[in-house]
Parts: sequence; structure tokens; C-alpha cells
Amino acid sequence: MSLREQFPILQRKVNGHPLVYLDNAATTQKPQVVLDAMNAYYSESNANVHRAVHTLAGEATEGYESCRTKLKERFNASRVIITSGTTEAINLVAHAWGRANLEKGDAIILTEMEHHSDIVPWQMLAEERGIELRYVPVTQQFTLDMEAFAHALDGAKLVCVVHTSNVLGVRNPLEDIISASHAVGAKVLIDAAQGVPHSTVDFTSFGADFMAFSAHKMCGPTGIGALLVQPDVFEEMQPFMGGGDMIETVTVEGSTYQTNEHKFEAGTPRIAEAIGWSAALDWMDSFDLDAEHARLVGIASWVSGELRAMGMTVYGRHDEDDAAVVSFLHPTINSEDMAHLLDARGYAVRTGHHCAQPLLTRLGISGTVRASFYVYNTREEAEGLVRELKEIVEKFA
Amino acid sequence: MTFYPAALQELIEEFQEVADKRERLEMVFELADEVMILPADQWSDDTRIRGCQSEAHVLIAVDEGLVHMVGAADAKLVQGLMGVLSIAIEGLTPAQAVLIPVDFAEDMGLLNSLTPSRSNGFRNMYDKVMDEIRTSME
Repeated sequence: MSLREQFPILQRKVNGHPLVYLDNAATTQKPQVVLDAMNAYYSESNANVHRAVHTLAGEATEGYESCRTKLKERFNASRVIITSGTTEAINLVAHAWGRANLEKGDAIILTEMEHHSDIVPWQMLAEERGIELRYVPVTQQFTLDMEAFAHALDGAKLVCVVHTSNVLGVRNPLEDIISASHAVGAKVLIDAAQGVPHSTVDFTSFGADFMAFSAHKMCGPTGIGALLVQPDVFEEMQPFMGGGDMIETVTVEGSTYQTNEHKFEAGTPRIAEAIGWSAALDWMDSFDLDAEHARLVGIASWVSGELRAMGMTVYGRHDEDDAAVVSFLHPTINSEDMAHLLDARGYAVRTGHHCAQPLLTRLGISGTVRASFYVYNTREEAEGLVRELKEIVEKFA
Repeated sequence: MTFYPAALQELIEEFQEVADKRERLEMVFELADEVMILPADQWSDDTRIRGCQSEAHVLIAVDEGLVHMVGAADAKLVQGLMGVLSIAIEGLTPAQAVLIPVDFAEDMGLLNSLTPSRSNGFRNMYDKVMDEIRTSME
């Protein structure tokens, strides 16, 4: 069975046309093995984790923890906290590490390229604690202004930067950012939601202090993600959410907490989702991700050239490490209309601000149309998109 | 069964005869001219349709007991649906106009989901128009 044939949803039609799913930067589709794993858990092993001694509880616990084990192996990380996704992972850093380690007058560096989920939690903490936020500008070449970054570093305690922009597809110079930040004693958080679906990262040698990402952008289920933390920084984190599973003992006088990742996973966790993600991680090992990534960036680069030739503005550069994301605008055709016209032919693309309004403000626009490619997309689908767009431009421009 | 004013019912039936969604979109784009245009210099926070992905404005007036609508939108689909709503509303009293259900865009085969959301410019436009008509009745 081909890679593509393993995704049942890709067999469906939309508005009478075969679905061409190009909204992968928002969420990816799920292969049958992921659906089967989640169904098998609910059909055969449903129980709560970490508590009872019965057989089902053991199977559920093993399934849940296997996800953590695979994440530790895949990313060479010693501490992996399971969260509801990238957003919760970043909020966890703000509450569990930020509140314990940042105080009035400290500075956090953000970039204009961040997704709202890596801006708003810091704005909330900044307001609460009197912390200064410094934003690294984005240049007209769609890259971070590294000179401005170097200038902003003085006195910074935390640097939060997106691995790969969900709008531009641009992969940031993370290695330079991490080493420069550490040189001044600042911790580094990487929002890798768009990065890890396209490339594997050795978290230990990479050196970032925190790295957040979501399962659903790498063929796993929605509602689950992870925060990787370096072991010394993990010890600087204080519990955020209290409840079951995160405690060691509870008395009426007070509580003591777990010392491992469970300390940050209060309550019944996302068991089926962890089992689904575990299956997705195994599935991701069934093909050469680097080769697929090179193929997809090639497609994105070709599409960009075609769109520019049609008079569109494309926001991105499509270097080999960038994501296969093509954000574009036509000078006269409204992006929402464009997306509806494409949907009428079965093409799923995204429009709007992509939860990155500061970036779009810097670019002087309010939104784009975004086509984002993933491992099951084909060159023929990209050619079809270009054909449809040509027809739309000829008819509606 | 949902009741539509005769002019709207006629439009819905016309759209339902067209099988291809792209063609239906083209038809509604052509109705963008049916709404009396609200000039850009009259756009304000009061006229803005919030939550739209692009710029969209609408203003409701009641003259001699009848509802009149003016509007404009960057998106031809949203302005086209303004045109449809204008055709439906024209000549109705506020009490009659507020009875027009939101379902017409779905019945015309243009939009699948009418749930209020940040990406549903049509739903936000419809809600604002109906809110303004209700306000005029107070």
C-alpha cells in the first residue's frame, strides 16, 4: 500500500471533486494505523493510567507511557511533559518556569514571527509581573533581523522563538540564537510546532532549554503535544496545575509532589491520544522524512514560481530547511473568495491571519492564502492547484 | 419549513438548479452589485463587521417604516450575500425582516457551516444586520 493510500480521508470527494488537502500547517491527516490504535484502545484496553493494578489499567499505562518513551528516543530528550499541544506547553513554561524565575524588570525576547500562542502567554505574564517584552523585527527578506536580536539580548532572561514560521515557512537560525542567548545567560524556548513535522531534532545537542510541539501536525491526533525540557531547567519548574496524578502525598496540612514529568500532568491525561501519537511516531519511521521534506520543498518552490509568474505576491523564500508552505496574495482577488473558489474544486487551503498578526502587520497585509504540503501530497496535486489558480485569475482578476 | 420572502425564495430556487458549486459562487459574486454601496469614507467602527477575515461594513436604516441596507466588503462572496440579503429585505418592515432565517446561504448551496466563528464572514454580517434591525425596533 502506498504512503498516500494509508490515509482514508484522502479518498473522499469535496463538492464532487477529489479532496486535495493543502492545509497541513493547520493540521495533518491521520493514517489508518493511528485510527486503528485509538480505536483498539477504546475497544479493548480503556482504563485510567498510573493507578489501578488490573490488567486494563496496566495496558493503558503502558500505552500512554510508550508515547513518552518514543518521544524521548526520537528527540533524544530526558524530560518529556505531555501537554494538550504547543499552546499548553508554552503556557506551562510561562506558569511553571516563568513565575518561579522571572521578576519585575526582567526582559523576555520574542520575535514578530511568533504564532499568537508564543506571544499572548508572555504578554499576560509581563502584565502580571512587570516584565519587559522585546520583539525582534522581521526583515523584508522574511528573516529575523539578527542584528536587532543581538542588540536586544543584553539583560534578557528568556528568548522565545519559532522554529519555522507557520506563515512564511522560514526556518530560523536556531543554533545561532541558542548559543548567543546562552552566552548572556538567557534560557531559550523553541516553538517547534511547524518544525518537527519536517525534521528530527536532537534536543540534547540542540541545546534549547524548552521545545514545544503538537502531535496533530505530524499525523497524530489533536489534543496532545509535548514540552521537552533540559534536566537542569526541569528542576527550576514549579507545579502549575494541581490535582490527581501529580502528587506524592496529600494530607489536610498540605501536599508533596511527584518529581518526574507527572508533576506537570495533573488529572486524567489524554490516553487514547497518546496511544494514537505513539502509532504516528512509529509510522513516521516507516519512510525517509528528509527525502520527503526535500521533495515537498521542491514542490513549494515550484508552486511559488508559478504564482509569481501569475502576478501574485509570495511571502517566503523556500530554502532547503524551510517548510513546504506557500503564502500568497493576488493584487485584486480577495483571499477569502479565492479559498471558496478553490474549495468548490476540492482544494483545501487556509486564509486569514494564521494567528500571526504581528508578522502580517510587519508585512503590511492583513492575511494571505496559504497552501501547505505534507508527505501525502503529490506533484500532480500541486500542478492541479496551479491550474485552478490560473483559471481563477483569468476569470476573476 | 423555513419561510423566505418571495424574492429570496426565487433566488434560492435559481441557485438550487445549478449543480456546480463554482458556478453558484460566480452567480453570487454577480449579486455583489445588488447592495447599495456604503462608500469607504463612511466606514467606521460602528459599521465594521467584526470577525470578518477581510474588510466588511454594513449600515441599516429604517425609512417610512421600511428597512434599507447599505454595505460593502472586500470579499465578493460576503458582498454578494449582502446583495442577496438586500433583495430579501427591500420593502419589508423591521418586524418582517428579522424573520428571515440565516439558512438561506446554505440553502443556496454556498456555505456549509453557518456556525458563528471568526472565519465566517457571512454569519457575522447576517448577525450584525439582524441586530441593527432589532435595535431599530426598540
